[in-house]
Amino acid sequence: MLAETVSRLFAEVESDQLQPTIDEMGLAGLMLSEGQGGAGCGWEELFEVLEPAGQYAAAVPLGENILASQLLGKAGNFSLSPYVEGSLQEGKFSGEVRNIPWGRAVDTVVAQAATGDVFSLDTSAAHCRENHNLADEPRDTLIFDRQAIGPLESADLLQYCALMRSVQMAGALEGALQLTAAYTLERHQFGRAIGKFQAVQQQLAVFAVEVAAVSCAVRAACRAATRGDAAFQIGAAKLRANTAVEIASRTAHQVHGAIGFTREHQLRQFTQRLWSWRTEYGNDRYWSEFLGRRVIERGAEHFWSDLTARDDRVAG
Amino acid sequence: MPTFSFQPVDLPPGIPAFRQQIRQFLQREMPDTSPENKSNCWGVADLAFSRKLGQQGYIGMTWPKAFGGGERSAIERYILLEELLAAGAPVGAHWIADRQSGPAILKYGTAEQQQKYLPAITRGELYCCIGMSEPGAGSDLASVRTRGEQLADGRWKLNGQKLWTTFAQHCDLMIALVRTTPVDANNRHAGLSQFLIDLKHTPGITIRPIEDMVGGNHFNEVFFDDAIVEPDALFGVEGEGWQQCTSELSLERSGPERYLSSLALYLELLRAAGSDAESTVVQALGSIATQLWTLRQMSLSVAGQLVDGQDPTLEAACVKDLGNALEQGIPHLVQRIVSSELFLEDQSDLARTLALLLQTSPSFSLRGGTREILRGIIARGLGLR
Ligand SMILES: Cc1cc2nc3c(=O)[nH]c(=O)nc-3n(C[C@H](O)[C@H](O)[C@H](O)COP(=O)(O)OP(=O)(O)OC[C@H]3O[C@@H](n4cnc5c(N)ncnc54)[C@H](O)[C@@H]3O)c2cc1C
Repeated sequence: MLAETVSRLFAEVESDQLQPTIDEMGLAGLMLSEGQGGAGCGWEELFEVLEPAGQYAAAVPLGENILASQLLGKAGNFSLSPYVEGSLQEGKFSGEVRNIPWGRAVDTVVAQAATGDVFSLDTSAAHCRENHNLADEPRDTLIFDRQAIGPLESADLLQYCALMRSVQMAGALEGALQLTAAYTLERHQFGRAIGKFQAVQQQLAVFAVEVAAVSCAVRAACRAATRGDAAFQIGAAKLRANTAVEIASRTAHQVHGAIGFTREHQLRQFTQRLWSWRTEYGNDRYWSEFLGRRVIERGAEHFWSDLTARDDRVAG
Repeated sequence: MPTFSFQPVDLPPGIPAFRQQIRQFLQREMPDTSPENKSNCWGVADLAFSRKLGQQGYIGMTWPKAFGGGERSAIERYILLEELLAAGAPVGAHWIADRQSGPAILKYGTAEQQQKYLPAITRGELYCCIGMSEPGAGSDLASVRTRGEQLADGRWKLNGQKLWTTFAQHCDLMIALVRTTPVDANNRHAGLSQFLIDLKHTPGITIRPIEDMVGGNHFNEVFFDDAIVEPDALFGVEGEGWQQCTSELSLERSGPERYLSSLALYLELLRAAGSDAESTVVQALGSIATQLWTLRQMSLSVAGQLVDGQDPTLEAACVKDLGNALEQGIPHLVQRIVSSELFLEDQSDLARTLALLLQTSPSFSLRGGTREILRGIIARGLGLR
């Protein structure tokens, strides 16, 4: 249901009208409790909403809006970032909050200091250094000078952001796959659709399996996040999404030939995002070390029982 | 809509307790074995252990009680299988009977055939093998040439040869795919039938072992020279062997045995890594953990779809393809980062397990349908074929 509604939104609304429409629909309040005027949803519903955003390469910070709203306890066009450099003294923050999606366009940003403290910052007095990722999505740094903070409940912003981005990656991978599969049936060479060549079919099958793996991993991580501590699952989902980018982007571009290498073609909307998102909120090395350390710490004796206990806990 | 469907499964209550039971059973009853024998353990046969599993109700556990089954859920069976494999238990002897021959007999067998075979399978006393491949029929299974000819008295005369038959030497029963009417060039899948062949008591059958690359004796060639079987050896419907056979294959592609064959090596690497492990080792451990976790979620999801009565043929092919790639990738990854020399008489568990898996893992993407055939199935699911 939710997925269909937002899919229609991304398919039909002009891109410059997307953010206003999202604001109007109150989508930012998805994960706020009903008492806070929200929809009381969890990560699994976030998947339903953000996966289509990835699949349509929607150029809006919808995930950021939803998560920052949840952290702030009210709905709005807010953003967040776990990348902070600066000092917190007597309730005032001086320094930089980096790589804020759409930092220039939001009036409040939620940030997390190295100490773990989570707080909100009013951005009106901040200096903005604009930047963009490869897909031209704003990734801004805001510079604050003794700006009063709003202390917030503790949360792991990197984990939040990693899962959010993983959901979008699952969507973008699916979008690239569907675009590519359709193209192999349209494009004819040697008197037949290129999709009829076994070499193309086999490549696409590998691509599809990667997409399926990411979708499954991210869904499982969302389910775990709704239910409690999901650090392992979130790290694994982001890492799984990251590693799929290589096969997916390589195959999608190869199969599209030269037309896919043009500025005008839609394919880059997926691949440029995927290349950026792979690095955002933990690249492969970051998460594989994070997970590797955890399994080493627990030891071989606990590996399998830990793996199964994560799902058994739910069964109770 | 996603191209393939992999909804996470919610395990029913009672699973943790059941898992505990299985672990206690294994602690008590599983024979001591080296890490290398724990790898690819559904390729290791131990008849005595299979009988113990049978006594415990751990074979055919979803089948009707009338045939010795336990009428337990398919999810519980899934949990049992993953626990057996993760522990490295020697489950090869009865694996095929439990996974596909028994279910096929339940689906297509007559009441007499069911009564004759199923209870003995659940006791862990009767083992089955797959008689599909032949010298000229591998991926192109429809080209089997073993012939069955019905005699005037209703019995059947079989002539031909099966190949790569896993554990035929231990097995009482083969389900064989046989041509019973000459090939129709317009419909190669017609005219094939399945037979339940008693390997121990049928004259005219010769089983010859084929040594595998590592020196193991697990597969065989089986010859039929005017082998005469009774009329009731015909399995299912004459001429529908192809359909029966392919539905049997779909049962065997998404189980935990499709991604866990190299778990033992991963655990050895983890055992060897201390808190001061180098970054490459730490990263490898984290990366493989991720893949194992993902595949488990996918494999469980397919199990859930089977329980719900859906047809996850495509998803099952995804699990097998990706799972085999992981099982095959683990030994190479370990070899990249571990410096032990691979001697035939090496002492270290890690090196011995690595050596064995380097050599056996090429077979993982051959058995049960090759990588290319699976990818063809997936491409069909994408609408390309
Ligand atoms: C360990 C092990 C146990 C086995 N146990 C059994 C058993 O118990 N019973 C049994 O019946 N069989 C068994 N098999 C046989 C197995 O089913 C076959 O190996 C498999 O079906 C492939 O057949 P083949 O080996 O003849 O290879 P081929 O079919 O000759 O294939 C050789 C190569 O060509 C590729 N190829 C073939 N056709 C195509 C195509 N159309 N498009 C693209 N590529 C293609 C294949 O993918 C493969 O890479 C076992 C095999 C192994 C390795």
